[in-house]
Amino acid sequence: MLQTILPILLFAALALAILGAAKRFSMWRRGRPSQVDWIGGLLKMPRRYLVDLHHVVERDKYMSKTHVATAGGFVLAALLAILVHGFGLHSRILGFALLAATVCMFTGALFVAKRRRNPPPRLSKGPWMRLPKSLLMFSVSFFIATLPVAGILPAEFGGWVLAGILSLGIAWGVSEMFFGMTWGGPMKHAFAGALHLAWHRRSERFSRKDGRGGRSTGLKALDLDDPKAPLGVEKPTDFTWNQLLGFDACVQCGKCEAMCPAFAAGQPLNPKKLIQDMVIGLAGGSDAKFAGSPYPGKPLGEHSGGPHQPIVSLQGKALVDAETLWSCTTCRACVEECPMMIEHVDAIVDMRRHLTLEKGSTPNKGAEVLENLIATDNPGGFAPGGRLNWAADLNLPILAEQGHTDILFWVGDGAFDMRNQRTLRAFVKILKASGVDFAVLGLEERDSGDVARRLGDEATFQQLAKRNIATLDKYQFHTIVTCDPHSFHVLKNEYGALGGDYEVLHHSTYIERLMKAGVLQLGQHKGGSVTYHDPCYLGRYNGEYEAPRAVLKAIGIEVKEMARSGFRSRCCGGGGGAPITDIPGKQRIPDMRMEDIKETGAELVAVGCPQCTVMLEGVVEPRPQIKDIAELVAEVLIESEAPAKKPAARRELAEVQ
Amino acid sequence: MAFEALFQPIQIGKLTIRNRVLSTAHAEVYATDGGMTTDRYVKYYEEKAKGGIGLAICGGSSVVAIDSPQHWWSSVNLSTDRIIPHFQNLADAMHKHGAKIMIQITHMGRRSRWDGGHWPTLMSPSGIREPVHRATCKTIEPEEIQRVIGNFAQAARRAKEGGLDGVELSAVHQHMIDQFWSPRVNKRTDEWGGSFENRMRFGLEVLKAVRAEVGDDFCVGMRICGDEFHPDGLSHDDMKEIAKYYADTGMLDFIGVVGSGCDTHNTLANVIPNMSYPPEPFLHLAAGIKEVVNVPVLHAQNIKDPNQATRILEGGYVDMVGMTRAHIADPHLIAKIKMGQVDQIKQCVGANYCIDRQYQGLDVLCIQNAATSREYMGLPHIIEKTSGAKRKVVIVGGGPAGMEAARVSAERGHDVTLFEKQEQLGGQITLASKAPQRDQIAGITRWYQLELTRLGIDLRLGTAADVDTINDLRADIVILANGGHPFTEQVEHWHADEGLVVSSWDILSGKVAPGKNVLVYDTICEFTGMSVADFLADKGSQVEIVTDDIKPGVAMGGTTFPTYYRSLYPKEVIMTGDMMLEKVYAEGDKKVAVLENEYTGTREERVVDQVVVENGVRPDEALYYALKEGSLNKGQMDIEAQFAIQPQPSLSALDGRTGSDGYLLFRIGDCVAQRNVHAAIYDALRLCKDF
Repeated sequence: MLQTILPILLFAALALAILGAAKRFSMWRRGRPSQVDWIGGLLKMPRRYLVDLHHVVERDKYMSKTHVATAGGFVLAALLAILVHGFGLHSRILGFALLAATVCMFTGALFVAKRRRNPPPRLSKGPWMRLPKSLLMFSVSFFIATLPVAGILPAEFGGWVLAGILSLGIAWGVSEMFFGMTWGGPMKHAFAGALHLAWHRRSERFSRKDGRGGRSTGLKALDLDDPKAPLGVEKPTDFTWNQLLGFDACVQCGKCEAMCPAFAAGQPLNPKKLIQDMVIGLAGGSDAKFAGSPYPGKPLGEHSGGPHQPIVSLQGKALVDAETLWSCTTCRACVEECPMMIEHVDAIVDMRRHLTLEKGSTPNKGAEVLENLIATDNPGGFAPGGRLNWAADLNLPILAEQGHTDILFWVGDGAFDMRNQRTLRAFVKILKASGVDFAVLGLEERDSGDVARRLGDEATFQQLAKRNIATLDKYQFHTIVTCDPHSFHVLKNEYGALGGDYEVLHHSTYIERLMKAGVLQLGQHKGGSVTYHDPCYLGRYNGEYEAPRAVLKAIGIEVKEMARSGFRSRCCGGGGGAPITDIPGKQRIPDMRMEDIKETGAELVAVGCPQCTVMLEGVVEPRPQIKDIAELVAEVLIESEAPAKKPAARRELAEVQ
Repeated sequence: MAFEALFQPIQIGKLTIRNRVLSTAHAEVYATDGGMTTDRYVKYYEEKAKGGIGLAICGGSSVVAIDSPQHWWSSVNLSTDRIIPHFQNLADAMHKHGAKIMIQITHMGRRSRWDGGHWPTLMSPSGIREPVHRATCKTIEPEEIQRVIGNFAQAARRAKEGGLDGVELSAVHQHMIDQFWSPRVNKRTDEWGGSFENRMRFGLEVLKAVRAEVGDDFCVGMRICGDEFHPDGLSHDDMKEIAKYYADTGMLDFIGVVGSGCDTHNTLANVIPNMSYPPEPFLHLAAGIKEVVNVPVLHAQNIKDPNQATRILEGGYVDMVGMTRAHIADPHLIAKIKMGQVDQIKQCVGANYCIDRQYQGLDVLCIQNAATSREYMGLPHIIEKTSGAKRKVVIVGGGPAGMEAARVSAERGHDVTLFEKQEQLGGQITLASKAPQRDQIAGITRWYQLELTRLGIDLRLGTAADVDTINDLRADIVILANGGHPFTEQVEHWHADEGLVVSSWDILSGKVAPGKNVLVYDTICEFTGMSVADFLADKGSQVEIVTDDIKPGVAMGGTTFPTYYRSLYPKEVIMTGDMMLEKVYAEGDKKVAVLENEYTGTREERVVDQVVVENGVRPDEALYYALKEGSLNKGQMDIEAQFAIQPQPSLSALDGRTGSDGYLLFRIGDCVAQRNVHAAIYDALRLCKDF
């Protein structure tokens, strides 16, 4: 009897799955076009899965092993079940193989079930609580149904009663595992996730066999000349189709939520919920059934949307409130954690672009900062002629006066900030002591465009970038060095699309090079213990975790690492224009970061970013001191006595009369 | 950016100055070895450069010729090439830290003394006596005029060869150039006097000669006054005309403006406004000059606060602000602004201890900063944390000595407890601040209050310390700074014990209400007696202030007594000198004060409601003697080490001992003997910096 029922169940489920897949696919394709390598992507998918995705998943050993067993067992079991039970290939070998696959899957499913007994808050509940049962049901049902095939039990063992029970079990199993996959069940993540890997919008973020690639963090440029292209994302269908596909891949593991500084601060943002809201937007509906943590302070069931409806309503409620989008610091902690390679920050900036460019609704100080950038080329609105005031007494070489240099010191807008001028002056001291050929752009330098871009003002970003590129084009230089990770990131990763390709280094990297070259005479750090705070735009955005630590080590500092450091460093709260849009929460992000710092017992925190410096120094005292790496190095710099310029021949002191 | 206006660089001539704050020319009285800028001089200025100042114009009244005496005020001597290498040291020290340095050069003409040094005959345009220095002089002859013009040019050359960035010609304070300007003292009928052009001629010839000598690549400025404040002197409109005349020559790079003449005691007090003046009292005069000239205008005079300086610059009144006394009080003023430590700036309170010493030919010192100008001795402005053991330091008394001892000890990283029996810090500073126009002196306490709070010391206000409480704290070091009491018991016949006389402290503190008709008897002749007289008069009392010295207030400095006189005369306070208070007796509810003339023995009686005695401070020594025996050093200070700014040898006793038995005992300030605020702070700093 099973031999009759099983093929029907299997093929019916598969047929439904294919139907669902087609429907889902057509939903994604409502998004804007995006060029992908259809076949090549599919061919690269296994490597992306086994290398890049595994690299992320492997950080959680328990889940990694559980997933290998469950998913591996399931894929094998499903294929074999189709052969054995669908096409009736009752070979004993296949039967044993299928048994083994189901046992593997069952074992994995047990751990899934165990995980679900007391799940951490980041995990979504709802249908996800059902999934381990479905997995167990699938594996057990097929195991028993396959025992006769393997010759372990007689063919008609159990009679129609068992056959009936097994049929129900298998019906449950294949519903969840086959057509549930394409009709929006928890298993959707496997289907959409696999295709997302194949047709990811940032194919360059995946590692390649030749060892290149593997990082892609620059925001994609808007084509401002294309009259048809929307200025950012207003409604779900304004996303590219493969972004929509990416949202669908979300497995709701909540690793993003657990790392999000805005969520922890009680600001109305939860990256996992945001992605799920995009899924709701894709399919249409309300967030009432969302089974995870809501945006802090925003109850479920009040927001809804559809593919062609605006995501944000400036009056009343739509799918997402604007302040959710403005809470993001663009720190990429969510992207870094996401096992499904979803690009949260891209999506947020896309939606911000619409709000800023089309609606002019950048909140709080946003509009003022953008106007300042347009009028004065710096976010503070300072007179542009004052850009070099901080160095009035330093006699810095100006690139315009000499035309070429080895090192172009990109000063950044820290030039206008009294605190960061100390860092800049410290770095100049280091440059001078090292004797390298360096110069600054002086008044020709403009804001890099970082803040404008993160606030969604792509037009101002491109204006600033193009003008900076035009300036840089006039001169010859070898390497750009900057103390500002935001400028560093933009110059290195985002100017390329507009025609500016440079070698750019963060000052910590460059100082390490100078140390290795032996041109700096350094003493040892005196004073108390030190921890180091990784800036997001240096670490997660650009992978530089080692150079700052190497520099600190070289001056005798043993870094007391924070629990959250390196790629898991917690944002200071200063990125993405977040201090400008200033969305209230229950606490301040820099306060939380300072707690992380205090936990180490360090008396001083070394930083490498003007934004981090400002945010952390904004924390009320008593608290550890904050010093830039350049300041710490400059403090122990042993300067050789350079002969000063004399206006006249030096006269000897006369004898005291 | 807060204080943005302060940090706009400025171009003066061909020189770029990193910010808008300068230390204007003032006489330092540090140029030793015949007027050379020696170690102390260089280190004093270098500290300002380290602290971030944009420009210092050093050497107020530095002389260009040997007949303008320099030794009275140890001013810089540019009359010899011997100065050049010293200037190179000074220039290097300043430039190393990014600051610029110029010097004021002058011939003082009649504004000096002739009775010393080379015993010169002083010169002035018309030989008219100068009252402040009681200086008589000859009428300068044309040959001498030409010689002095040449002296200016050579002095400027020496400044340039020494690597300085510029010179400022002094045409202020009634020096020779403005002696020629002022019809009040220039009565000549030749080409050097009379018409405007003629009166301008000397200054113009000096400027031409200097410019010809140094060329265009060197700053040359001029300091002028904004109004002489004499009916027969140069008015503000005259000064505008003069400023424009020189600026229009195109040979000047800047003009500094001081808002007052100063050849009388009363106008002199304007030049360095003490705490009785409002903020920037003469800014309008500098702004008036700025209206008519096309070169940067610099102005100092009671600009002490970064917010105030920013407001002045933002208003565009002048181009640079002089914060000269502000930098004497705190040479790290700019650095503290930049570090976001504005609350840590030690702000000048206008006590004018600095300038009042200068006018006596004594080295300029700050009442509240004992490190200023003692950098060369190793006294630090920034106290570094000790690398040695952390000590328990107990300090008794929250006056200037105790507050400084607590601050320095806490900065060294020690565990500090400070006892003060009053409910607030300050000691005698608190009393001093009660008098009219003297409230700003409490700024000294305000800074300490902020610093001690920041440093987190154990501050026990309203708590008198005794031997038991001190022993309970098991201190390593005990510092007594518990001051004293008014010395009214010195003369038995005053009957202080019967209340026939009260003390100046009783009045200033409000403990005793002012009487209707009051006699103040002041043997000290400094601030307290004058303050109590002013305080009483201000409350409506009829006051006579009597002293056995020459005149009430005679021991006060030259910029201070005039402001008291301005306050006392209108209130009809009678000032009587040369009379001793022999005795006081009661007659009904009246007091009779018996006065005796020092020189004739003649006795007079005053029938008054109240007799107030200011007879200085008698140290309170009881606690010291109670603690002395138990101390490891028997309370002794090693004066060799103290004077040499070296650690007290007895400190090594703390390292050698086992457990915490015994303590070192030191006493500083008025609990030893009456001196002054500076002495108290200096003793505390030089003692505690090595703990």
